[in-house]
Amino acid sequence: MIILIGVPGVAAWLGVVQGESPCILCWAQRTSMVLIALVGLFILRYGPRPRYIGLAVLLGTWGVFMGLRHSALHLARDVGQGFAAPIFGVHTYVWAWVVHWISLAVIGALLLLLRDTSAENWGRAPGPAGRFAMGLFMLVVGANAFQALVSTGPPPFIGQADPVRFALNPRRWVWSLEELRGRISLRGSWTIPEPDPAAADPDPAHGPLVDLPALPVVSWERVGTSLDGRLSDLARDPVSGRFLAVTERYGVYLLDSAASGVLHHVVLDHGFSIDLSPLAGAAFVGSDTLAVVSTNKSYVLLRPDPQADADLMWRRFSETDGAVTELRRSRFATVRARQMYVMSLAYDPTADELITVALPSPRHRRLVVSRFARSDFLLASEFEPRLGAGLTLGGEGRSLAEYVVTGAVAADGLLYAISAAYSTLLVIDLRERLVRAAYAVPGLEQPTGLAARGPQLLAAQADGRIAVLRRPTP
Amino acid sequence: MEFLNFLLILWTAWLLWRRPERERLAFGLLVVSCVLMALLFLVGTHTSFVPGVNL
Repeated sequence: MIILIGVPGVAAWLGVVQGESPCILCWAQRTSMVLIALVGLFILRYGPRPRYIGLAVLLGTWGVFMGLRHSALHLARDVGQGFAAPIFGVHTYVWAWVVHWISLAVIGALLLLLRDTSAENWGRAPGPAGRFAMGLFMLVVGANAFQALVSTGPPPFIGQADPVRFALNPRRWVWSLEELRGRISLRGSWTIPEPDPAAADPDPAHGPLVDLPALPVVSWERVGTSLDGRLSDLARDPVSGRFLAVTERYGVYLLDSAASGVLHHVVLDHGFSIDLSPLAGAAFVGSDTLAVVSTNKSYVLLRPDPQADADLMWRRFSETDGAVTELRRSRFATVRARQMYVMSLAYDPTADELITVALPSPRHRRLVVSRFARSDFLLASEFEPRLGAGLTLGGEGRSLAEYVVTGAVAADGLLYAISAAYSTLLVIDLRERLVRAAYAVPGLEQPTGLAARGPQLLAAQADGRIAVLRRPTP
Repeated sequence: MEFLNFLLILWTAWLLWRRPERERLAFGLLVVSCVLMALLFLVGTHTSFVPGVNL
């Protein structure tokens, strides 16, 4: 009771005296605490009837949800950041969660201590302490009502997301209905569909960039061995000529320079330690380290190792040839691409960075290139490439964010990215951070990977065929 | 609407204090206040009911 009246009481004092106005969510949490205190007064007056206790538990439960929902807006921010001033170093929306959780614990403790005979003592007029509690309660609620009238206004107005500070001057009052705006959604900006490049329109003529030169397929090759699932990326080591192929079903294959002989094969245990979603990107980091990434930006580093510890590797591989060691598995963390999946991985030896290109979605229409330092696998830089000179978008509403990059390779300071949408090759200048050129590649069917072989690009498809292209150097 | 809710709460508390025989009305007002409080929170979060984090 002390907490439940004290908190709104102190909050109202802070609001009126110091000018701190609650947002719409804060108002609901403060009201919830007042309501739990009011239930306490009901119990004081009429005894611990089950419906009072039930309502208090429901209020506590709802209050815990409100605190979590509100806190979620700010918990992932940098240290010290948040909404409005903290109290004892913790922001008020976290205190709301704590207070409601404590109220549930107190209700449980009081029920535990409640004696069956105690019902005889209830139902009388409140004594001095009870009258004091009621008086204090009404004073606190009255103060909150006054602050609410000034800060949010009479009906139909409701609270705001960013309230202005308290003032007695009516010219400073903001009474608004802005919180009614916006579409109703269960998960808001986290409504992100799983990537499905097979659904992309492959016709280059429908793409956002107009008048693109064609880059014809010079010849066709094929991954010459059967894989344990659909091919989801292909990489090539420029030194040894070996290939790295990955499949959606967590298969990792190190192939010879003809892409037909299997030198090493493992199947990753996708449930160990991290949640590894289907593999979608592969790259050589130097000649002896294999990097693979899954659609949720989880990554694994592997190394061929004839001395691999079979017992130690058992937890990491559901299948293995016994000569591969897993070096590390973790997750790439991004900023602009945080709510976007990826289907490509490239390694830039000049900058010693791994690179991913994020997939756009209806909620997040951006083309984001994220670069991770090889030294610590943390984000080194991130950008949305600009349009280079000579490239034109075909009308209002068209953007680079319509491309679905499913394979990428870095060479000579350029990032080559193949898009399953509109069968387009994008050439991104990593230093200038712009799309320097783009080419229509007719004849591709579900490209899932891109590798470089000297003056050639190899666009791998899900069916294992590889389109050989001339590597442009604009 | 928050102001209205606090008025309802004040009314309820006054009933407890001065009109204890009106328990049914008081409890009804209490329930209405709870529902109004929850509705206002849902209005404030209607663009994303579930916490906006990775689940």
